[in-house]
Amino acid sequence: MIAPAGVRALAVVSLLAISALAGCGRGDDAKKDGARGDARTVAKTSARERAERRGYDGAPPVIPHQNFGVECMSCHNDRGMQVEGVGFAPPMPHAVTAGLSDIARCRQCHVFRETDEIFVASDFRGLAQDLRRGRRLNDMTPPVIPHPVFMRENCYACHAGPAAREEIRCSHPERARCQQCHVEENATDLFTP
Amino acid sequence: MDRRRFIQALGTGTGIVAFSQAHKDEAKAFAEGQSAINPSDLTWGKAPCRYCGTGCGVEAGVKDGKVMAVRGDTASPVNKGLLCVKGYHLPAMLYGKDRLTHPMKRGADGKSWEKISWDDALDLIASKYQEALKESGPESVAIYGSGQWTIFDGYAALKWFKGGMRSNNIEPNARLCMASAVMGFVTQFQSDEPMGCYEDFEEGDDFIMWGNNMAEMHPVLFSRILESKRKKPNVRIIDLATRRTATTDYADMYVEFRPGSDLAIANGILHLLIESGKLDNAFIKENIVFKRGIEDLEEIGFGCYGDQAEHYTFQDKTRDSSIDEFKKLVSEYTPAHVSKISGVPEAQLRSLAEMYGDQSRGTISLWCMGVNQHTRGTWMNNLITNLHLVTGKISRPGSNPFSLTGQPSACGTVREVGTLANRLPADMVVTKKEHRDIAEKIWGVPEGTIPAKPGYHATDMFRAFMRGDVKVMWVQTTNPWVTMPNLHRIDRKPGDGRFLIVSDIYPTPTTEAADLVLPAAAWIEREGAFGNSERRTQHFDKLVEPPGEAKEDAWQIIEVAKRMGMGHLFPWPEDAWHKPMFEEYRSFGLGHGKDLASYDQLRKTRGMVWPVVDGKETLYRYAAGYDPYVKKSKGVHFYKAKGYGEKAAVWFRPYHPPAEEPDADYPFWLCTGRVLEHWHTGSLTRRVKQLHQAVPKAYVELNRADATKLSVKSGDRVKLVSRRGSMEMDVKVDGRGKPPVGSVFVPFFDEHYLINELTLDAMCNISKQPDYKKCAVRVERV
Ligand code: SF4
Repeated sequence: MIAPAGVRALAVVSLLAISALAGCGRGDDAKKDGARGDARTVAKTSARERAERRGYDGAPPVIPHQNFGVECMSCHNDRGMQVEGVGFAPPMPHAVTAGLSDIARCRQCHVFRETDEIFVASDFRGLAQDLRRGRRLNDMTPPVIPHPVFMRENCYACHAGPAAREEIRCSHPERARCQQCHVEENATDLFTP
Repeated sequence: MDRRRFIQALGTGTGIVAFSQAHKDEAKAFAEGQSAINPSDLTWGKAPCRYCGTGCGVEAGVKDGKVMAVRGDTASPVNKGLLCVKGYHLPAMLYGKDRLTHPMKRGADGKSWEKISWDDALDLIASKYQEALKESGPESVAIYGSGQWTIFDGYAALKWFKGGMRSNNIEPNARLCMASAVMGFVTQFQSDEPMGCYEDFEEGDDFIMWGNNMAEMHPVLFSRILESKRKKPNVRIIDLATRRTATTDYADMYVEFRPGSDLAIANGILHLLIESGKLDNAFIKENIVFKRGIEDLEEIGFGCYGDQAEHYTFQDKTRDSSIDEFKKLVSEYTPAHVSKISGVPEAQLRSLAEMYGDQSRGTISLWCMGVNQHTRGTWMNNLITNLHLVTGKISRPGSNPFSLTGQPSACGTVREVGTLANRLPADMVVTKKEHRDIAEKIWGVPEGTIPAKPGYHATDMFRAFMRGDVKVMWVQTTNPWVTMPNLHRIDRKPGDGRFLIVSDIYPTPTTEAADLVLPAAAWIEREGAFGNSERRTQHFDKLVEPPGEAKEDAWQIIEVAKRMGMGHLFPWPEDAWHKPMFEEYRSFGLGHGKDLASYDQLRKTRGMVWPVVDGKETLYRYAAGYDPYVKKSKGVHFYKAKGYGEKAAVWFRPYHPPAEEPDADYPFWLCTGRVLEHWHTGSLTRRVKQLHQAVPKAYVELNRADATKLSVKSGDRVKLVSRRGSMEMDVKVDGRGKPPVGSVFVPFFDEHYLINELTLDAMCNISKQPDYKKCAVRVERV
């Protein structure tokens, strides 16, 4: 379902405002529902909550729910799963990443959050997770992908299905081959001499 | 991205879809609301990860002089774009609020700190060292660094100490970490470091992990093995361990053994290989000699009791042996006998022997601290390599003994530069005149500058500092007042007449013990180079400025040397010394099988695996067709082992019991180690929110049966008591690690729970590496 344009644009603007206020999860004292590792339920994720789970844009998110003691992939499978009493477990975006696989060790990168406390305060400012529009050649062309595709090869994980946030939800998931029209913005070259 | 490339990237024939007004409005709103920095607005530079010996390549994204993000470097052959949670959170490690930003001296009260200038600090260090040299000689000065020193830091320290101060009292924390592996390789190949490379993880079939929780300690390498297992389902992971860990979850066979009995198990496998005729006799005849050393338990001891308690000076003596004698000695280790010592079922011992003996399958043995931090660590290294040597499963893609390193430059700095009390660069030692001559010549210092007697090894260095035999000690890039075993033995309050300098980036228990603290530049705040577990040297540029007045460790050393009249050791321009220093260091190894890539080549590549000859790296050392030093058309040639007729040595090494075992008063084994989320003592990783929040404090892992017996559950407090100290902490039952009945595990990352106050400072006889894995404790309910 696509919300009317005006509403969507508003939502986008207010999300940006909220994330700016919340410092995009950089505030060490931020206490948020569902962010702690002892949470039983996970509400549908807003952009702000998304930011809170990551050190910077591109960092692996911490796990927003308690340890249920089951295989991660039994819920975060390639279509995602509605888990009774918990919420929708989004699909895993990197099931086909070269070097990773469905037997990979998820907790090598994703960790639970056992406490809200910090050891020492930090001045770290990560790459902000504001909404970033894919650049377009002109109004008529499809936007390029404004983030690296590596580790996010499964576009549907974030852009379709019940877990997809409104502002990045794809209006035409039936067209299947996303990268036929959307190409990765090749962010940079290394400045290696 | 410029406009032309953008158009190219999109292609010309993009199907134009009729966009609705809604889409256009939305796009406009995005564009107007957008204030964010794009990844493309950052400047990205390459660097190896700051943490473990895996040496993953990262790209660090910098804006306005700060690191704002990292991403796994897809061009790095080490990690191919993946990182572990520590690597992903590298940037935050630099920005803890309590970064040390200026030199500080103890106030007159012995407690407070006074800010001082760099000039005053450097003058003070120079005068303290000079005074000690004058009054008590070169044995009274010391420097203690680490496997986190860059190659530049280590080389500067080595040259200054051995070539300027005329002292061999330079040691790294890697003595606590890799010394047994060094002595293992040196006693067998007369050259340090493994023959294989990370491609072994795709080439091998059986991965036999000896006391090695690879899933947590070398996560990205472990994921390479898992990926290989997915593609080749007949790949097997064998976990030989004293406790169940994250690695066990992925193992095809779990072999649980009594602590210390790995010596018996390896001998038992050797015996079964002999008995079943699985030795590769042709390989042995061509490439192997047999050796024995001192085998008497009393004579060797453990370095911590009686006469050995202060000075531990055991020297092994080599004698020749033969295959027949070897077979006879090993024959004592029958499956029944080994099973009795180790608790491992005979059937499992036989399966292990079948794997090592199966010529149709590639075998990789992997080990790290379980084998190295062992009172017979050198022996255990020898025994594992023996298994590969007698079966010829060595220096072949997919078949190698593979020693993993814990620190980013344990290999590159400590082992290759030789920042140890007894070593010099490129496999040379201070005890050999011809080696000292070479070093003195390259350094342009008079003959006889480098003393022939090795300096204090790490544990002894701290004992000497406490006795007052060492008067001035400088600690860089490490935290010994958390990591030394039997910590109470080095309890120290400033003002005891000795002088301790500590360079670090954050306050730690070690800076608390110091008289002078210097702020260091970390990771990509300075130029550096690390060497990882697979002999890969990786250079990184300085990408951001360090905070405040923080300076790189090598600079600190050079400045003190200049103030002591030893500036001639560092005759390079102040703003361009890295390249000439590296090229001078490199000249030690060229032509000796330790050829590093040139500085210019290293700057351009994602690291190079040495020996690098004619600009080409060597993936498999000693192997025909790979190693340019091997002139044979096939097979192997252990060309570095000149003293063994260019053959490798198989050593008979018997089983000895550990230094301390559980008894009626102290009925539990205590094992210590790391967790995935924290790096060593946590001084860096605990300042990263996500990592600290994942594992906020240390705990003691207890078996469920033991917990039930003590009527405690997870979260309850217990008191651990050893003969050396005691500590109260939280219990964890069925956590990530599950120790067997009668055994507990405590991680050492937490400076508020100094588990090393309980550990025993027993050592390996040959490597002088302490054993942090085995001592006896009591568990009390509180
Ligand atoms: S800690 Fe080790 S495995 Fe993790 S990213 Fe760094 S080098 Fe790689």
